[in-house]
Amino acid sequence: MSKTLISARSLRKSYGKRNSKFEALRGVTLNIHEGESVAIIGKSGSGKSTLMHLLALLDKPTRGEITLNGHPTARLHARKLNAIRNKKFGFVFQSFFMNANDTVLNNVILPLKIAGVGYRERHRRAISALKTVDLDDKRNNKASDLSGGQKQRVCIARAIVNDPKVIFADEPTGNLDSATGDKIINLLFKLNHEKGITLIIVTHDQDLANKCQRQISIKDGRIVSDSSADVEQDDDGDEEIREIVAESEEDDDDDDATPDKFEGDNNIDGMLDQKHPVRHINIEEDEEDL
Amino acid sequence: MKLLDIIRDANANLLRNKLRSFLTILAIFIGSFSIISTSAIQAGVNDFIDQQVDSYGGEGYLAVVSKDSFDALEGLTGAMGNGNSAPIEYKEDKIQDGMTPITNEQLDKIKKIDGIDGDSLVEQKTLNISYVSSKKTDKKYLIGAEALPPGNIKVETTTGGQLDLQGDEYQIQLEKKYVDVLGYTEDNIIGEKIQLVVVDQFKHTQKTFNVKVVGVIAPGVVSMGYSYVNNKTADDIYTENTKYYPAEYKDRTVAVAVNYDYENHSAKEIKDKLEDIGLSAMTIDDIIGSIKTFFDIILTVFKIFGFIALLAAAIGIINTLFMSVQERTREIGLDKALGMSSARVFLSFSIEAISLGFWGSVFGITVSMTLGNIANNIFHAEGGFLESFPSFNLATYTIKDIIIVTVLIMFISFLAGTLPARRAASKNPIDALRYE
Repeated sequence: MSKTLISARSLRKSYGKRNSKFEALRGVTLNIHEGESVAIIGKSGSGKSTLMHLLALLDKPTRGEITLNGHPTARLHARKLNAIRNKKFGFVFQSFFMNANDTVLNNVILPLKIAGVGYRERHRRAISALKTVDLDDKRNNKASDLSGGQKQRVCIARAIVNDPKVIFADEPTGNLDSATGDKIINLLFKLNHEKGITLIIVTHDQDLANKCQRQISIKDGRIVSDSSADVEQDDDGDEEIREIVAESEEDDDDDDATPDKFEGDNNIDGMLDQKHPVRHINIEEDEEDL
Repeated sequence: MKLLDIIRDANANLLRNKLRSFLTILAIFIGSFSIISTSAIQAGVNDFIDQQVDSYGGEGYLAVVSKDSFDALEGLTGAMGNGNSAPIEYKEDKIQDGMTPITNEQLDKIKKIDGIDGDSLVEQKTLNISYVSSKKTDKKYLIGAEALPPGNIKVETTTGGQLDLQGDEYQIQLEKKYVDVLGYTEDNIIGEKIQLVVVDQFKHTQKTFNVKVVGVIAPGVVSMGYSYVNNKTADDIYTENTKYYPAEYKDRTVAVAVNYDYENHSAKEIKDKLEDIGLSAMTIDDIIGSIKTFFDIILTVFKIFGFIALLAAAIGIINTLFMSVQERTREIGLDKALGMSSARVFLSFSIEAISLGFWGSVFGITVSMTLGNIANNIFHAEGGFLESFPSFNLATYTIKDIIIVTVLIMFISFLAGTLPARRAASKNPIDALRYE
C-alpha cells in the first residue's frame, strides 16, 4: 500500500459562538494515501465541504490536527500554507470560479502568476495543461463564451497547471448534465491513473462516488462509513497515530524546526515527496464522540 | 506574484469598469489641475518678482528717509486714502512738499552703522527734466529719469547693455516706449544721442543734454516707467535744476539709497538702528512685498480649493474600490485559495488606488501645462495683458512642482485605498468562494 499523504486526527470545526454555535465536524480521523481516489459523500450540511476545506488547508480546524506527509500543519506560517496550496494542490469547484471576462489562457495561468512564474514559462505550461483537457484551440476565447463542460475542463486545466500532488474537487459535476459530467469524471480519473494525482472529490452523487476507489460517508459531522478494505475500528487508533507523527517528526526535524519561515520550494516539495516509514492506518472514528 | 504582474493586473481591473474609473480619475484630475496650476502661477509670479527685485538693486537695497518724512507720507496717504489718520500739522521749517531733509550728521551716522555698506550710499535726487527729443523728430515728450539705485544692479534690457556709472559721458537706459516716438527702432537706437532738455520755469533759461542711449529697458513693474541715467548725467541735471535755489535748499537730501549686508544682518535689525537716529527705511520686500502678498493670498485660496477637491476625490477612490472589492469577492477568494497572500491582495488594491491617483495627476498636469502654455502665448501676443512684460510667464512649470504634486496625489490615493484594500486582504477564501 502506498504511503500516507494527508492525515487528519480528531478534526473538529465549529462556527459561531455560544448559543449560535454550530458544529460542522465532530471529530474526524482519516488517512489519505498517495494516488488514491477518495469520494467524500454526504448530504448538504453533513460537513463534507468543511472537511475538504480543512484537508486543503483553506481553513484551520477548531481542534484536531492535520499532517502532510507526517508534518503537522497547525503551526505553519500563512506564507507556507499559501505556497503549499499554490504549488501542490489543485482545486476544481462546482461553480467553476473563473474570471469570466478574461481569456481561457489567462484563467489557467492564474496559479502560475501567483507563484511568480515568468511570462514564457507560464504560457508554455498553461498551453500544455489546456492540451491535456483538449481545449488548446479555445485558449484565446473569453471564459464566459464557453459551455459548462468546457468551463469545468478549463478549471481542471487550471488545477493541473502547477503539476499538483492532490486535486480537491468540490461537486465537480454539480452544474453539469450527466453526459458532460461523465466526461469530466473520466478526465479526472485519467489524471489519477496516468499522473498519479491524488483525487479528493466531495459529492452527493452516488454514481460518481462509486467510481472512486474509496468512499467515505459523512453525516452530522462524523464519518459513518468508509469503503476502504483496511478499515480498522481500532480503539488504540489515537496512540498509533501519535507514533506515526512521532516517527515522521524524527525524520524531518530540520524541516519543521522553523515553521515560521518559508524556505522555498524545496521545503514544500520535501513535505509531500519525502519517503516516510508510515504505518498504514486508514480510518479512525473518534472514540470520544461515540 | 511579480510586482509587474500586480501593476498590470491593477490597471486591467481599472479598465474593466471604464466609466467608474474614469469618473474617479476625473475627480482627482480636478484636484491635481487646481494644485499644479496654482503652483505654476505662483512660480511664474515669484520668478517675475525675483527678476524685478534684482533689477531694483537686489535684496540688500534700502530706501531711507527721515522719520518725519516717512510719517508724513503715511499720514498723507492716510488722509487721502482711508481717513483714519489725523491731518498733518504745517511746520515752518519744512519745504512745501512736507518732507523733512536728512541732515549731514545723520548721513555720517548711516555710513557708520554696522551692516551698512557706507560706500554704496547714493543721495536720491529727483531729476526735473522738461522734455526729451531727438534729431529725428520735432516732437517733444515728457520723461521721467533717475540715477540708478546703489548695488550691483543689472537692469534687464531688451537691447543694448548697462550704464557706465562712473563714466564722464552722458548715458541713459531708455524706457522702451520712447524708442519709436523718437524716430528709432530697437535695432538702431543704441549709441545714438538723444536730447534731455531742462527749462527753468521762472527764468526761462534752457539747457540741453546730449545723452547717449546705451540700452532699452525691458518693461517691468518696479521701474514704473522710469529711465535710468548714469551719475554724471544725474549730477549735472540736478545742478541745473537747483541753479536758482537758495543755498540751504541746494544740498537738501530727502532720501538716500544704501545697501546693507542682508546675509549677516536682518532687515529689522538695520531698520531699528536707523530708527534710533531718526530715520525710516524700506527694504525691497516692503516696496514690492505687497504685490507678492496679494498673489500669495489669491493663490493660497485656489490651492485650498484644490485640496478640498482632492479630499472629495479621495472619498471617490474609497467608494470605487469598496465597490470593486464587493464585486470581486469571489475572485479574491479564488486568488487566496490558489495561494495568494493577504499582503499581495492588499498590495494589488493599493496599487489600483495609486494608479487612479497617478492617472488623475498625469491628466491634470498635462491639461494644466497645455492650457498654461496657450495662456502664456495669448497673453504675450499683441493686445494680450502681458504684451509689455515679455519676461513674465504667467504659468511656470518646474520639474520639482510636477514631481511633488504627482507623489502627493499618489500618496493621498494610497491612503484612501488602504481602507478597501484592508477589507479585501482580510477576506477569508472559503467565505469569499461561498459568496454568490
